[in-house]
Amino acid sequence: MQSYNQPWGSDSGRCPLTVKGYQLNKEKSENKSQDKRNKTIAYRFPFAAVIGQERVKKALILNLINPQIGGVLLAGEKGTAKSTLVRNLSQIAPNMEVVDLPLNATEDRVIGSIDIEKTIAQGKRSFGSGILKRAHGNILYIDEVNLLSEHIVNSILEVAASGVNHIEREGISFEHPSRFVLIGTMNPEEGFLRSQFLDRFGIYVAVEGSKSLVERKEVVKRRLAFEQNPAGFAKTWERDTEIQKNQIVEARKNLETVKISETVFKLTADIVNEAYCAGNRAELVMIETARALAALAGRQNINIDDIKEAAEFVLPHRKREKPNEPREPEQDDQNDEEFEEQPEENQDDAQNETDDENDENASESPEDQTQPEDTQAQETDETEADEPENEESESSEQPDLNEIMDRIDAVGRTFMVKNLDIKAIDRKKRKGEGKRIKTKTDTKKGQYIKSAMPRNTISDLAFDATLRAAAPYQRVRESNGLALIIKTEDLREKLREKRTGSTIVFVVDASGSMGAKKRMETVKGAVVSLLTDAYQKRDRVGLVSFRKKEAEVLLNITRSVDMAQKCLKDLPTGGKTPLAAGLLKAYEVIKNEQRKNDDILPIMVLVSDGRTNAALMEGDPFTEAMEMGKRIAGEGIQTIVVDTEVDFIKLGLAKKLAAAMCARYYRIEDLEADVLAEAVRDLSKESSF
Amino acid sequence: MKNKNIIYPFTGIVGQEKMKKALVLNIINPLLGGVLIRGEKGTAKSTAVRALADLLPTRSQVEGCAFGCDPREPANMCSECLEKHENQKTFVEAFGRMKVVDLPVSATEDRVVGTLDIEYAIKKGEKKFEPGILAQANRNILYVDEVNLLDDHIVDVLLDSAAMGVNTIEREGVSFYHPSRFILVGTMNPEEGDLRPQLLDRFGMVVDVIGERNPEQRIHVIKNRLAYEKDKEAFAGQFVDDQQDLRERILKAKKLLEKVSYSDEMLEMAVKISIELNVDGHRADIAMIKTAMTIAAFKGQTEVAPADMLEAAELVLPHRLRRTPFEEGIFNFDKVEQIINDVGSAHNAVV
Repeated sequence: MQSYNQPWGSDSGRCPLTVKGYQLNKEKSENKSQDKRNKTIAYRFPFAAVIGQERVKKALILNLINPQIGGVLLAGEKGTAKSTLVRNLSQIAPNMEVVDLPLNATEDRVIGSIDIEKTIAQGKRSFGSGILKRAHGNILYIDEVNLLSEHIVNSILEVAASGVNHIEREGISFEHPSRFVLIGTMNPEEGFLRSQFLDRFGIYVAVEGSKSLVERKEVVKRRLAFEQNPAGFAKTWERDTEIQKNQIVEARKNLETVKISETVFKLTADIVNEAYCAGNRAELVMIETARALAALAGRQNINIDDIKEAAEFVLPHRKREKPNEPREPEQDDQNDEEFEEQPEENQDDAQNETDDENDENASESPEDQTQPEDTQAQETDETEADEPENEESESSEQPDLNEIMDRIDAVGRTFMVKNLDIKAIDRKKRKGEGKRIKTKTDTKKGQYIKSAMPRNTISDLAFDATLRAAAPYQRVRESNGLALIIKTEDLREKLREKRTGSTIVFVVDASGSMGAKKRMETVKGAVVSLLTDAYQKRDRVGLVSFRKKEAEVLLNITRSVDMAQKCLKDLPTGGKTPLAAGLLKAYEVIKNEQRKNDDILPIMVLVSDGRTNAALMEGDPFTEAMEMGKRIAGEGIQTIVVDTEVDFIKLGLAKKLAAAMCARYYRIEDLEADVLAEAVRDLSKESSF
Repeated sequence: MKNKNIIYPFTGIVGQEKMKKALVLNIINPLLGGVLIRGEKGTAKSTAVRALADLLPTRSQVEGCAFGCDPREPANMCSECLEKHENQKTFVEAFGRMKVVDLPVSATEDRVVGTLDIEYAIKKGEKKFEPGILAQANRNILYVDEVNLLDDHIVDVLLDSAAMGVNTIEREGVSFYHPSRFILVGTMNPEEGDLRPQLLDRFGMVVDVIGERNPEQRIHVIKNRLAYEKDKEAFAGQFVDDQQDLRERILKAKKLLEKVSYSDEMLEMAVKISIELNVDGHRADIAMIKTAMTIAAFKGQTEVAPADMLEAAELVLPHRLRRTPFEEGIFNFDKVEQIINDVGSAHNAVV
């Protein structure tokens, strides 16, 4: 175990800060604008007046007492005073302010860059500090943190890890300490954070609105009173604010006297072990949190309750599945955990994705593709009995397979979808992190992230960067009456980033056989889950179903995942299985869309058991489907096959089809994020895909 | 040629009472959080929003301030005005009419949030902030047509400002912040895509409009439109009195709003409805009471009545009932009515 005194290792430069050190490090005069911002505090909603949300408040206070906890991530539904609490934290924070990092921030402002004015005046490069400098010794707050640009996230991660902001850009080499309490708020509906980032937040609190009638009434009353007279309202809470602030000051003094016994170390290690957290950060954060809790209570010893409470704060976003073992079926709270589990998987998958993104190309051999899935299939075979849906369907009575009557099944259970390795064959340079696809756009659309030297002719000039490039030379350049002379070599262009979703066409088998054993219910549940995933990734979706004799376009490509869901809900099942027709229809939909927009990344998701019994023309229906599949693969359309086969005797037709289409193959039960055991993940890492 | 500038009068819009009411309520009380109007093409959505311009009241603002700060409201001043305020300097007051500021779907981020003033930088060698649409929108109506087609990153920016009433700029070498409190009005055609739930929740109310079904009304709609196309001035002339009436009513309601109170009973209704319908967070409760108070003021009452609550619930709840990003909100209005009746009668019994 690392020694307590150097929790982040000595080489990282992030030696533990004492609270005193924190105050000493402050350089307040640096930023006038931030000071001004805080002037309006008198007119803001008082921290102390927020009702309920005790855990959120406590989490924030603990970080003020002991900044080494490493920040808070607040995740939860909208309208629960998340931002209000954080933004007004400086009211009760002795000597700390809240530094905002808005989503539209560009790199130069985050890490700092050339100060144009000074540079022009002095004729030599001079550093202008950015947000990270301002955040030093303060609170860095990111609202909607899950929407932050990948680029900015990386910069912050680096600094958060080392405590130093190292700038090497635009001819400037500069370094300054930047240690801050990182606070993020987010609504999980919009997607989650990658695990590396997630882990940076010391503690995690899920936020919920109060359910108590009395409390809620008070919430409304206070809000309205505040809106009517902000200054007056703030005044009535001055005393409470002062009390809270003093409490924190006291606790800070106590903090250094809190002793950590061997038992505490051991207990913490045991708890963390139980939770299968990666790395050692969990222990460290837990001890720091427990220390702050003890200090807050005015004790010098950490007791069991402190540790328990600390664990509740520290573990939710770090907890992982027990490796090498299938999921326990009785875990009822699994649903909650799926959210937290997801990013871990995401991360690993994303890692794989980016790692082999470069040498990835269209002609991946089917053998390579299916190899890991083989093992995966075996793995899940063993766990099959644990799957609730299967149990249910096995016991339910069997309706006639060739049922002529149409039926409409309800949407079955939905779940968090694991990251499907979608690697599109692409004509533009894209990177597959976080959101499914991030495109560096050529057009002027998208968010301006950073600037670069122009490659060809410039169409999207980055004025700010150009000025910065020109600034140092102004003294030596001949004046033409303007303050600035810009030459061609100064020109920079904007690099923009746009979250482009893919275009996904779902091809759903709605034949009679799907109506059996509640299978359609499961399928609908799975597709809705995929749609949720598609929503978060800003995909566009289309829906094709095939049944009886023909395939039907239920929904043309749209951004409205809403509509897709409605269509799906009303989808009846019954009749024969014209698989080839379904594939053909989906292919046509994609081709049509490509004609309109050359830029799309088409993905076809086939949900079927592959048991086709109706051909387009004469001949064997399955052979026909295989032919169609090959053609689609030949067109470079990325495909995923979701196998719905649950019968005892497996024909494996869908799998064969998947191989022919060079498709990713998933059995329907494997789609769920945490069904895949760690073992499978490791295997897929080893294999070469 | 001046004929061209005459907008279709608000009071000349046939039907669509709910939409019109929602818009008017937002003018009376700018803190209601705006309105999203959803509906098929050709249902007078945009016409109604643009027609608002003629109804908007004038208000006092600091002369020369790019953000139109209110000289009496230090809580929401830009840094410059706030400094003046704190140094006890007197403001030169100007009067200006509230505006409808357009945010086109194709707007680029720098135009929306503001950016570095290039001309100034080149001429003077100094940095200066060039305000964008969000600066113009302060204390005005920000109108986004086809709001569901807005680029993701623009939506993110809007979310930030709509929530905090402040636009923070940290980009292109500029670090700046200014107040940006606006009434967000959006129109969209749901067939073309969804709105992100996060943005959806920022709208105080949602109104779903459908085309007029009644044949007589339809004819009325067409006749009005044709009359307007033919001679805008004459058409608008017919509604001068109506417009003036409505303007006065809005002003009266604005004044009255300060006096409107709500009983504990009404508060309980709002909270009960939110709990029973399982609405996320507290925004719905707060919005419901505020909207009901505004409705009361518009009606000329000083006390919120159960009927106002019902009306408010209808405007405030539809978009907040979804549990998953795109689950269909089953809006069980009977339940709302029932709660209002129950709470009402329970209190009467006690009295």
